[in-house]
Amino acid sequence: MELYLYIALFAPLVGSLYSALFSGSPKSQQVGIVASGLLFTSFLSSAILLTYVMSGHTVHVEMMTWMATGDLYIPFGFVVDQVSVVMMMVVTIVSTVVHVYSIGYMDHDKGFNRFFAWLSAFVFSMMVLVMSDNFAGLFIGWEGVGLCSWGLIGFWYHKESATWAANEAFIMNRIADLGMLIGIFLIYWNVGSLQYDVVFAEIGNLQPVIITWIGIFLFIGAMGKSAQFPLHTWLADAMEGPTPVSALIHAATMVTAGVYLVVRSNAIYDLIPNVGIFIASLGAFVALFAASMALVNRDMKRIIAYSTLSQLGYMFVAAGLGAYWVALFHLMAHAFFKALLFLGAGNVMHAMHDELDPFKMGGLRKVMKGTFVMMTLASVALAGIYPFAGFFSKDLILEVGFVEHHYVIYTVLLLTAGLTAFYSFRLVALIFHGEERYKLFGIHPHEAYKFMLVAMSPLLVLAIIAGSFKMTYFQLVMNLLPATQYHVHDQTTYWIMTIGTQLFVIAAILFAYKKYANWSNVPDGSSAMERSFFYKLLWNQYYIPKMYEEIFAKPYAELSRIAWKQIDLKIVDATVDAIANGIYKTGENTRDIQNGNLSTMLRWMVVGLVVLSILAVAFTVGYNAVGA
Amino acid sequence: MLEPIHVALGSLNIATLAPMLIAIVGALSILIIDLAKGGLHKSLYVMIALLFLLLDLGALVDFGGVFLKNGTILGFFDVMLMDGIAILSQIIIVVGSMLFIPLALTSKRFHEYDYPEYFALFMFMIAGFQFMVATDNLIMIFIGLETASLALYTLIALHNRSKSFEAAVKYFTMGALAAGFYAFGSMILYAISGSVEINQIATIMAEDHYRNIGYVLLSMAFMIAAFGFKLSMVPFHTWTPDVYEGSSAALAGYMSIVPKIAAFVVAMRLFEFLVHSGVAWLQVILYIGVVVTMTASNIWALVQSDVKRMLAYSSISHAGFVMAAILIGTTQSNTGLFLYWALFSFTNLGAFTMLWVNRQKNLIAGQSSDHPYEKFSGMVKTMPMAAVMMGLFMLSLAGIPPFGLFWGKMYLIGSAVSSGYTVLALIMALNSAIAGYYYLKLIVFMFMKEPIVGYDQYYFMNASLSLKTIIGIAAVGTIFAVFAVNPLLKVITLFVYNSGY
Repeated sequence: MELYLYIALFAPLVGSLYSALFSGSPKSQQVGIVASGLLFTSFLSSAILLTYVMSGHTVHVEMMTWMATGDLYIPFGFVVDQVSVVMMMVVTIVSTVVHVYSIGYMDHDKGFNRFFAWLSAFVFSMMVLVMSDNFAGLFIGWEGVGLCSWGLIGFWYHKESATWAANEAFIMNRIADLGMLIGIFLIYWNVGSLQYDVVFAEIGNLQPVIITWIGIFLFIGAMGKSAQFPLHTWLADAMEGPTPVSALIHAATMVTAGVYLVVRSNAIYDLIPNVGIFIASLGAFVALFAASMALVNRDMKRIIAYSTLSQLGYMFVAAGLGAYWVALFHLMAHAFFKALLFLGAGNVMHAMHDELDPFKMGGLRKVMKGTFVMMTLASVALAGIYPFAGFFSKDLILEVGFVEHHYVIYTVLLLTAGLTAFYSFRLVALIFHGEERYKLFGIHPHEAYKFMLVAMSPLLVLAIIAGSFKMTYFQLVMNLLPATQYHVHDQTTYWIMTIGTQLFVIAAILFAYKKYANWSNVPDGSSAMERSFFYKLLWNQYYIPKMYEEIFAKPYAELSRIAWKQIDLKIVDATVDAIANGIYKTGENTRDIQNGNLSTMLRWMVVGLVVLSILAVAFTVGYNAVGA
Repeated sequence: MLEPIHVALGSLNIATLAPMLIAIVGALSILIIDLAKGGLHKSLYVMIALLFLLLDLGALVDFGGVFLKNGTILGFFDVMLMDGIAILSQIIIVVGSMLFIPLALTSKRFHEYDYPEYFALFMFMIAGFQFMVATDNLIMIFIGLETASLALYTLIALHNRSKSFEAAVKYFTMGALAAGFYAFGSMILYAISGSVEINQIATIMAEDHYRNIGYVLLSMAFMIAAFGFKLSMVPFHTWTPDVYEGSSAALAGYMSIVPKIAAFVVAMRLFEFLVHSGVAWLQVILYIGVVVTMTASNIWALVQSDVKRMLAYSSISHAGFVMAAILIGTTQSNTGLFLYWALFSFTNLGAFTMLWVNRQKNLIAGQSSDHPYEKFSGMVKTMPMAAVMMGLFMLSLAGIPPFGLFWGKMYLIGSAVSSGYTVLALIMALNSAIAGYYYLKLIVFMFMKEPIVGYDQYYFMNASLSLKTIIGIAAVGTIFAVFAVNPLLKVITLFVYNSGY
C-alpha cells in the first residue's frame, strides 16, 4: 500500500516537473495529456487506498527525516486515514477533471505548458497538505498551495489586475499564516511534538487557556485560506485567474483547506466549545454576508465565488458546532457541484469571448445545450433540492444547527439557503434564458469542445448522486471523527422542516426565474433599484475593500514612505554607505602598494622580513628579561 | 679505507617514490615521443599527461589504503614521508592537475601548447610539488619547491605575450629572493639543532626547552617570509595579481590552487609544532598575518576593474582565510583546511575557466584589460547558460549556501569558535561578507546591465567540448558539494588525525 501512497503523492509532482521542462517552449498538446494522465494515475492510487482504508486499515509511512536537532524531530511522514483519504479522493477527482478540461480551455494560450506545470504543482502541494502526518508537513503544503495559487491567479501576469489580485491573495494569506505559525509554535512549545497522534493524545493535559489560544491561532490560519471575514476580499479578486484554476483551487480544494484543518484538529476544538461557537457564528455570518453580495453582482465568476464563500461559511458552522463529519461531507459534495459550476462558467466565458456580465448574455441555452444542462443541475445541487448532493449535505448542517439549539444560526442559514437558490438561478436565468442580448455586442457564441463536456460529466454524476454515499461515508469517518448523529427526534418537526425548506428554496428559484428569465435590456445604473441604498451597499461589497484601502493600505503606504525616505535613506543607507565608502577609499588609497614595479615589490618583501626579524629580536629580549 | 656502505634494498622502501616517479616517467615519455616524431597534435600530449596523472592518482589511493592500515610509511633513509596529509594533499594536487590539463584543448591555437615541452614541464612540476609535501626533510622540501617553481616560471612565460614575460621574470626574481629566505631559515634551524628533519628539530628544541629561542624566532621570520611569498600573504603578496594577469586564465586558476596546497602542507609541518609549544610570538605573527592578509586583499579586490585581478586578490583572501587553520592548529581546523581547499579547487578552477573560454586575442577599442567587468555586462541576454554558470561560481566563492565553499567556510569558522578564537571567527565572517560585495558585483553586471556591443563575439569563442566538460565538472562539484561534504569530512578527518595533526 505504501507504493500507492507514494504514487498518489508524487505523480502530480512528476507531472509538474515534466511540464516545467517544456515551460519555455511553445505549446504542445502532449504536455497536457501527460500531466492529466499522471493525475489520473494519482486518482487511481487514491481509489485503491480508499478501498483499503474502507476495509479498516490505515497507511502510515515515514519517508525520511526532515529536521532532527536536539529535541526537535520532524519527519516527512504521510498518513492515509479515513479523513485524509476522503480529501485525497476529492482532490484527485476534481483535479483530474480540471486537467483534462484545461487541455481544451487553455488551447489557445501561449502559456499552455506553464499552466500545467503550476496546476500539477498545486495538486502536489495539496496532497502534501492533506496527507502529512504532522503540522509541519501540513504547513509546507499550506504554503505550497498558497504559492501555486499566487502563480495561477497571476497566470496572465501581463494583466495589471491579475498580478494585483495574485499579490492580494498571497499577502492576505501570509497575514493569516502568521497566526497559524504561532499556533503551531504554541503546540510545539507545550506538547514538544508536531505529530498529529502525539499532539491529539496530549492536548487534553494542557491548560484550557493555552488550548484556547492554540485553537484561535490555528483558526486564524484557516480564516485566511478559506477566505472568512474579514480576510475574504481576496477570493472574489482571485477570479482574475483562468477559470479552471477558479474551479480547482478557489472552489473545490485550496479554500477548503481551512475546513480540513479544523476537522483534522477536532481533538483540539472539542476541548474549547466557546471557540467552536465563535467559529460557527462567524461561519453563519459569512454565509449570509457573502450570499447578499452575490445577489446584485454582475460578474458571473464573482457570483460563483461569493457563493463559494457562503458555502464555506456553512462548513464552518458545522465544524464549529462539533459536527466535523458533516462539515467534511459538505466539503466533498460542494467540491463536486461547485467545480462543475465553474467549469460551466468557463464554457460560457469562452463562448462569450471572455464577457463576464450575465446581463449581456441571455438565451444561450439554444447554442450551448450541454453546458446549460450541466450548470442548471449544478445550481439545483447547490440550492439543495432533493435528491441532489446539496440537499443531503446542506440540510444536514441546518439540522445540526437546529438540534444543537442554535436557532439564530439555524434561521440565518435557512435564509441564506433561500438567497443561494435565488442568486444561483438569477445567474442561470440571465445566461441561458430570455432574449439573446449578446447579439447587441456582435458575439457569436459556440459550444465548448466535446471532450471538455465529457470531462465534466463525472462531476455532474457526482453532483447528482453524492448524497447517496452519506451512510457509507459516515461509517468510514466515524473511526476518526466524533460519530454524533444529528436527528430531529420529533418526526413531525422533521418533516415540516425538510419540506418547508424545500418549498422555500423552490419559491426562491421560481422568483428568480420570474424576475430574470425574460430580462430584455442591459442595466445602465439608472433604474430605481440600482440607485437604492442597499443595492449600492451590496454592489460595493459593503465598502469593505474601500475601507481596507483607507484604513490599512493608505496609512501603511504612508508609513512605508516615511520609513523609506526618512529612516532608510537618511539613517540606514547613509550608515551603510559610509562604511562601504570607507572601505572602498582604503582600497583606493592603498592600492599603490601594487604599482607593478619589481624593485618596489622586492622592497616590500624585504621590509616584511625586516619587520618580522625586529619583532623576533624584540620578543626574545623581552622574553629573556621576563625569564630572568 | 672507507668501509663500503651496505644498504638493504628492502629498507629503502622505493615504493614511496612511486607517485612522483610516475609523473616523471610521464614527463620523460612526452619528451621521448617528441624526439621520435615531432609536430604531433597537442591532444596526444594532453591524453598522455592525463593517463599518467590517473596512474599517479591510483598509486596515491593505494597508499591511502596502506596508510589507514599500517600508519605512516617512511622510505629512502626516512627522507620520504607518506603520512595522511601528504597523501591528501597529493590527491588534491593530482586531481587539480587533471582538471587543469584538458584546458589546453582550446578551440583557438595558443603558442604554449605547440610545444610538447609545455606538457613535460607540467608533469615535472607536479612531481616537484609531490616531493615537497611527501617529506619533512628541509633539503628535500627545497628541492621539490625549486623543481616545481622553475617549471612554473617557464609555463607562465610560454604564454608568449609581453605581460607573460613580465610576470615570469617578476615571479622568478621574487621567487629567488624567497628561496634565499628559505635557505637562510633552514640554515639557522640546522645550526641550532644539527638536523634537517622537522620532527627531529622539534624533538631537539623541546628537549633543551627552547634555549635558543632567539634563533628559532629568527629562522621562523625567514620561513614566514619564504612561505608568505608562496602563499601570497601580505606583504609578500605583491607578485600575485601581476603574475595572474600575465599568465593564461587557466594557469592562473591552477596557480591559485595547487602550489598553495603544497605550501600549506609544508607550513603545517613547520609551524604547527611551534604553535602547539606555545611560542607566543609565532601565534601573534600568524594571527596578524592571517587577519591582514584576508582583510587587505579583500579591500583591494573591491576596487579592481578587471575580473581576473579581482579573482587574484580574492584568491589571496581565501589563502589568508585558510591560513587561519594553521594558526588554530587543531585536528578540526586542519581537516577544515583540506576540505576548504578541495571545495575551493572546484569552484575557483571553474571561475577561471569561465574567463579562459572568453579569452580574446586582441583587445577591442577602449578595453583596458583582458577581462574588465564591462565585458560581462548583460551576459545573461547573450549567453544565459554561461552567465548562470559564472553566477554559480561567484555565489559559491562568496560562500552562499548550499554551494561548495559555504561548507568549507562554515567548518573553518566553526573550528575557530570551538578552539576559542571567537574574535578571529568574527573577522573571518566579516571578511566573507565584504567578499560578497565584489562577487555579487560581477553578478550584477551579468544579470542586471545591458549588454555592451562588441564583447559578445568573444563569449565562448575559446570554448571546446573539453573546456565545457571541465566547467560542467566544476559546476557539478560546486552544486552537489552538499552531499559530498559529510563523507569527505569523514575521510579527511581520518587521514589528518592519524597523521598526528
